[in-house]
Amino acid sequence: MAATLCGKLLLRQGWLPVTHCVRHGSKAVTRHRKPMHFLKQKLLAVTEYVPPKPSASKRRVPQVKPHQEESGLAVLLKREVQSIFQECKMIAVVHNSATNAEEMLHLKHRLRKHDIAVRFFPNQVMRAFLEDSQYSNMEPLFIGPTVLLVSKEPKVKEMLQGLRAVPQMVLMGACIENTLLSLQGLVSYSKLPSLATVQGQVVSALSLQTSQTAAVLQHHPARLSALLQQYVTQKGQEGTPGGSDGKAGEMTPV
Amino acid sequence: MISLLKSAFCGVASRTTGSAGLFQDHLKVLSAGLKTYPLPPDYSDVVLPERPKLKFMNKVPNLKKIKKEMKCLRDIRGPAQKGTTFTTGQYGIVALGGGYLHWGHMEMMRLTINRQVDPRTTFALWRVSGPYKPITRRGLGKRMGGGKGGIDHYVTPVRYGRLILEVGGCCELGEVEPFLSEVAKKLPFPAKVVSRESLAAMQQEEAEREQNNQNPWTFKRVVTSNMLGIRKVLSPFDLHNHGRFSGKFHNPGRV
Repeated sequence: MAATLCGKLLLRQGWLPVTHCVRHGSKAVTRHRKPMHFLKQKLLAVTEYVPPKPSASKRRVPQVKPHQEESGLAVLLKREVQSIFQECKMIAVVHNSATNAEEMLHLKHRLRKHDIAVRFFPNQVMRAFLEDSQYSNMEPLFIGPTVLLVSKEPKVKEMLQGLRAVPQMVLMGACIENTLLSLQGLVSYSKLPSLATVQGQVVSALSLQTSQTAAVLQHHPARLSALLQQYVTQKGQEGTPGGSDGKAGEMTPV
Repeated sequence: MISLLKSAFCGVASRTTGSAGLFQDHLKVLSAGLKTYPLPPDYSDVVLPERPKLKFMNKVPNLKKIKKEMKCLRDIRGPAQKGTTFTTGQYGIVALGGGYLHWGHMEMMRLTINRQVDPRTTFALWRVSGPYKPITRRGLGKRMGGGKGGIDHYVTPVRYGRLILEVGGCCELGEVEPFLSEVAKKLPFPAKVVSRESLAAMQQEEAEREQNNQNPWTFKRVVTSNMLGIRKVLSPFDLHNHGRFSGKFHNPGRV
C-alpha cells in the first residue's frame, strides 16, 4: 500500500534522483598529441581516405606507352639468335634449376667435345624473336631460367648422354632440323641409327633386289625351265590331294 | 667598321626575303635573335593603402578593467571559422595548426617583413588582431595556493587555416616567398606561405577529397550512428571534426 502511494506521489511531483553523477568531460590536451584509445586508432585506420579510381579515359593513357626503342644489346642478341636458328640443326631448350658454376663448366666441357654449345639468352629476347618467326610454337618453353644447347649437327644422343650426369638441367624440348620434338621424341630420335647407315641399308636393299633379278636372268635357260617345271609339278601336287573341288581342274591347264 | 656592319645587315636582310617585297628597301626585319617574352602581369588595378607597412601592435590590449580568463583551449582547437580567405593581398602565411602568437612573434614578423618589402610597390597587412587573451602565471618562487596568479602576458590564439598576414601590390610570389617562408618557420605552429590561388586550390582539394571518398566507412557515419558503441572512446570534439584534428594539431590526409 505504502509502495503504491509512494509511487503515485513521486509520479505527480516528478522524480529527482538522490545522487546523480556530473560529467565534467575530459580536459582538452593541446600541448602534445593525446595518446589515442586503441579503438579510436582502429576506427581511424578503418576510415582512411580511399581515392577514387581514375576514370577510364585517364586510365588508358598510361597504358598506351610510346613505342619503346629497343636497346642496342637486345638488337644484337636478337640477331645472334636469328643466326643460331638459321645455322644450327639442333636447338634444345633446357631448364636450368640452380646449377652451380662448376657443374655448368663440366657440362660445357663435356658437350664441347661433341661441338654442342651452351648458350644463354634473355627470355625477353627469345620471345621477341620467336613471336614473328616460324618457330613461334617454341614460345611456351621459354619460361624461367632457360639454356640453349645448340649444335650444327643433330647430335641428340651425345647431348642426352651429357645431360644425364647433370640432373639439375631438365630437357624441355628441342627443335631438330626444323621439327619440334618433345622429350619422348628426342629419346626415340636418339635411338634411331644414323642417317648414313639407314641410307646404306636402303641402298643395299634396293641393290639386292636388282642383283638378284640380274643373277636369275643370267642363269642358263635350262635352269629356268627346270624351275618352272618344278613350280608346275608342285602346283599339281597341291591340286590332286584335294581333287574333289573344281579348282584342281582349273589349275591343270595352267 | 660601318661598311662591315652594312654588309652584315644586308646579308641578314637578303636571307629574310619574303612577302614584303614592296617594303624590302625600307623595312628590314632581323629575324635572327628575335624572342617573344611573356607579357608582364597587369598591376593596373593595384591600390596601395596609405600605410603599406605592417602596423605596430600593442603588447597589452587597451582595456578599462583587466580580467583574468580561463584557459579556454577551444580557441586553438579545430579549424578556424573566420579569416581563412584573402581580403586585398595576394600572398600570405596560413596556419596549419593551432597555437598562440604572442607579442614577440608579431614583432619578429613586423620587423622582418617591413625591412624586406618595398613600400612604394608592395604592402603588407595583419589578419590577426593584437594579443588580447591574458595568460596568467604565478610569480617565480611563490608557494602554491593563494589563488590565481597575475596576468603575465597576452596572446592571440590562432586555429588551423587562419591567415596570419597578407602581402600584396606589384610583386610576384618569387619575390616575397623567401622572407615569408623564413617568417613562417619561426611561428609557434606549422605555417605555410600561400598565394590566393594555392590557398583556394588547397581548400578545393580538401572539399573534393571529402566528396570523392570511396571508403564507405567514413568517420562521420560510424560516429553519428555510434557503431559498436564507439562513442564511448570518442570526445565531442571528434563528433564535430571527424578525426581531422587531435587537439590543436591537424591530421593531414584525413577527411
